[in-house]
Amino acid sequence: MARRRGNGFCGSTEHLVNRRAFLGGTALATAGLASDMTSLDVLRTPALANQLRRRGKRVILLWLAGGASQLETWDPKPNRPTGGPFGAISTNLEGVRISELLPKMAQRLEHTAIIRSLNTKDGSHGSAARMMHLGRRDEPNVTYPDLGAVCARELGQADSKVPDYVSFYTATEGRGNALGQSGFLGARYMPMFLTTNTKPENLSRLETISDLDHRERMDLRALISQRFAAGRDSNTLDSHNEAYARVRGLMASEELFDVSGEPQWIRDRYGPSLFGRQALVARRLVEAGTPFVKVSRAWWDSHGQNFETHLELVSELDHVMSTLLDDLKSRGMLEDTLVITLAEFGRTPNINPSLGRDHFARAWSASLTGCGVKGGTVYGETDADGQHVKDGEIGAGELFATIYQALGIDHQHEYFVGARPLPLTNPGIEPVSEVLA
Amino acid sequence: MRNDCIGKGCRALWLALLTLPILQGSGQTAELLGPEITIAEVVDHYLGAKLASAGISPAAVAAPATLVRRITLDLVGRPPTVHESREFIASTSQQRRAELLDRLFADPGFVRHQANEFDHMLMAGGESIREYLLQAFGDNRHWDEIFRELLLGRDDDAQQTGALRFVKTRVSDLDKLTNQASVVFFGVNISCAKCHDHPHVSEWTQDHFYGMKSFFNRTFDNGGLLGEREYGLVKFKTNFGESRQASLMFLNGTVLEEPASKDPTGEEQKAEKAKLEELKKKKQPPPAPAFSRRAQLVEVALQAKEDNYFARAIVNKIWHRLFGVGLVVPIDQMHPENPPSHPQLIAWLARDLVSHKYDLKRLMRGLQMSQAYARSSRHDGEQRPDARLFATAALRPLSRYQYATTLRMGSMNPDRFVASDKIEELQKQIESQENAARGFASQIEQPYDGFQIGVTEALLMNNAEQVEKEFLSDSGDSLVGKLKAIEDSRELVEVAVWTVLNRPPDEQEIKSFEAYLARRVDRKLDSCRQLVWALLTSSECRFNY
Repeated sequence: MARRRGNGFCGSTEHLVNRRAFLGGTALATAGLASDMTSLDVLRTPALANQLRRRGKRVILLWLAGGASQLETWDPKPNRPTGGPFGAISTNLEGVRISELLPKMAQRLEHTAIIRSLNTKDGSHGSAARMMHLGRRDEPNVTYPDLGAVCARELGQADSKVPDYVSFYTATEGRGNALGQSGFLGARYMPMFLTTNTKPENLSRLETISDLDHRERMDLRALISQRFAAGRDSNTLDSHNEAYARVRGLMASEELFDVSGEPQWIRDRYGPSLFGRQALVARRLVEAGTPFVKVSRAWWDSHGQNFETHLELVSELDHVMSTLLDDLKSRGMLEDTLVITLAEFGRTPNINPSLGRDHFARAWSASLTGCGVKGGTVYGETDADGQHVKDGEIGAGELFATIYQALGIDHQHEYFVGARPLPLTNPGIEPVSEVLA
Repeated sequence: MRNDCIGKGCRALWLALLTLPILQGSGQTAELLGPEITIAEVVDHYLGAKLASAGISPAAVAAPATLVRRITLDLVGRPPTVHESREFIASTSQQRRAELLDRLFADPGFVRHQANEFDHMLMAGGESIREYLLQAFGDNRHWDEIFRELLLGRDDDAQQTGALRFVKTRVSDLDKLTNQASVVFFGVNISCAKCHDHPHVSEWTQDHFYGMKSFFNRTFDNGGLLGEREYGLVKFKTNFGESRQASLMFLNGTVLEEPASKDPTGEEQKAEKAKLEELKKKKQPPPAPAFSRRAQLVEVALQAKEDNYFARAIVNKIWHRLFGVGLVVPIDQMHPENPPSHPQLIAWLARDLVSHKYDLKRLMRGLQMSQAYARSSRHDGEQRPDARLFATAALRPLSRYQYATTLRMGSMNPDRFVASDKIEELQKQIESQENAARGFASQIEQPYDGFQIGVTEALLMNNAEQVEKEFLSDSGDSLVGKLKAIEDSRELVEVAVWTVLNRPPDEQEIKSFEAYLARRVDRKLDSCRQLVWALLTSSECRFNY
């Protein structure tokens, strides 16, 4: 078959060796993989230097499900017909004003880049949410990994003892809308899903078996499987045994999901809301080494009573996000942790007769804080009424390229699926260098 | 250039399809082995020749216990019962493999497994058309007939109900329908060619992609029923910005003649719309067109001779299913830049399939009679030979249904599957286990090339209450229930290993397992559960090897 390899293909044995060395010789037996470009090269890894550079980089995605209003958050239009009842307040950045519903964040923008110029062209919940998780659209025959899966793979370690992708979804979104897609990266990078329960499924041992028996039956399983593996070799076989080998470690991480392990005063700071508790779990997870945690808050879809909804939800966001940032900062983690606020789209500047705002993907906002971000910046601008992007228009692809770059991941990095090179962002997409540190 | 490639369909592929004589032009066909030779001999001839020229000796034949498990999983989607395994191993017949194959092809489980496999292949885990497939395979309809029904089936024919879901579920996105029909029926993935650079191909054309799309462009959904118009052409912009009109052209370059069509006037359009609304209300299908482009696709695909994409694609898929690796890899990249490992073999098999009216059973049986199919999956030497030489059998992860059924049958009291004098009862029992397994199967991921088993499965198997309830209960119907009553630990281990792994334990296993049991002598039930769990979750149980 054709063996014309694109630039950036590095299934070289040298790199495999590096990786093995780096992982301390774990069970990633991949002999033969490099010579067979027909298999998905998910085990292909960048050079050691990159690995080290990225080590310790983390992401917390605050997902504002249903579509938060940019006008009541990062891009207020006070005293305009589209402005609504809430005002804008000044911030600790000169000349930058955000919604008065974000008073705490207004005093903490020095590590944040606000992006006011997203035009993502899709105003339908399902497909827009997909796109804003993937940074692009699936193709008829390619399902792409989402941001969490890519980060799990690029920032995590294959034999990690902590989960590498955790996703809290909300009952309102439902499991169906809570996207978690590892696409061609495979099930290894699927998220561990949680909803109102802050503890993941199947992470704790049933009471019917003792811890010792649980461990020893695992050893017995490993013994049978090792004997079977002798003289046989396949990546799928390796993944089977790796998955089982990770179980005990993951189970030991169960306590990370339990906020009672935190001092009371910290729990008090995050507050009693579910969103606050989940944000605290997210902090515990990234602190222990989980590279990607998504916390969803719903439901922002305020077709009616937009202002009541946002008064409640933005105020909560302001509190939880500012607490999270303070907490990360005081632990010295903010420079390695990227906190993102994002939704599937924003909301119409026009206020409808039910005092609601509808779906709006033409000119809306997101924020990036911490790792790799040039803090205290505002990128892009909308017109006076927020109807159009006036300056710095970007789409989902550029936003994702920016996120990858902030994390030290080359956004043009290519995966090979079969013989086909698939870059992390579509060809021609560039990051927004203005918001990168 | 890269950018242009995304979303448009790569011209290179389509041109290359035309220009390179990979589809076994006359020169090669003349050299093919004669049609009278058996499939198995042909397989071994071509694979053997390549192995010999690579200086590699293939693995020995697999142990009988392995072989009966492999064949049973492949044909009926479940492991053999202990009785079936022992019977095969004990058989002294020269024809024991052929006898097993014949029995399993006639087993109702074959139709169910075939339906599961094709449902996944055709619908990729989306909406299921299993009911239709059960009927089609149950009637022993051949692949060309099924193809015809999938594209042209009639909603008012009870035999074909459901077949059209293939088109209906995709018709709202014609690019997707074009792509997926090409992948499923012709083994060519348009999207994967989108951003391949083929620098040596200087002249590019998109005509083939839009030519294929033209077969579907008149098809539409009208209230859940499919209609097809008699007018409408596909126009597209080339990468050079030129506007072009696609002709009705198949992959092999055949351009079909068709009656001239005229776009309707505004008035006619209004009348058509009103009529369709009325039919929608009455839940009647739109009238069939005098000339159907979709029907032309079926005809042209089946008329193809040496460049038979349709036959080659299904040969490769069936080969991939039975050997773990396709003759063309990946299976949806059957384009000229990507030649088969054994060009003459695939050409011979495609020719044989066409001359035997697309009888997939004949193809499968022939492949399974080969020496290559029966090889051991173990390689004890230094360097493992390239998988595409087929020197050893591949390790194939079980499909979700195979694994869930294997877990269920492997955790049942084996006495429940003893062939009593009533074979129907045993078959009913097995079918009910398969049905009961479907719930658990939904939690297992369906494998694909390069499949990675995730930690979710391992956590599920470790800590889910469902696993304990379904597979580790100690009722009289369960394996654990049987084991706990066995006094002799050696016998206990033998029963457990036979039931779960379909083979006898070796001495070292007996020793290790007995030691495990001995350490828990005061908690026999627990120890039986743990032993069964360790066997069910082992890699040996998870794979067809």
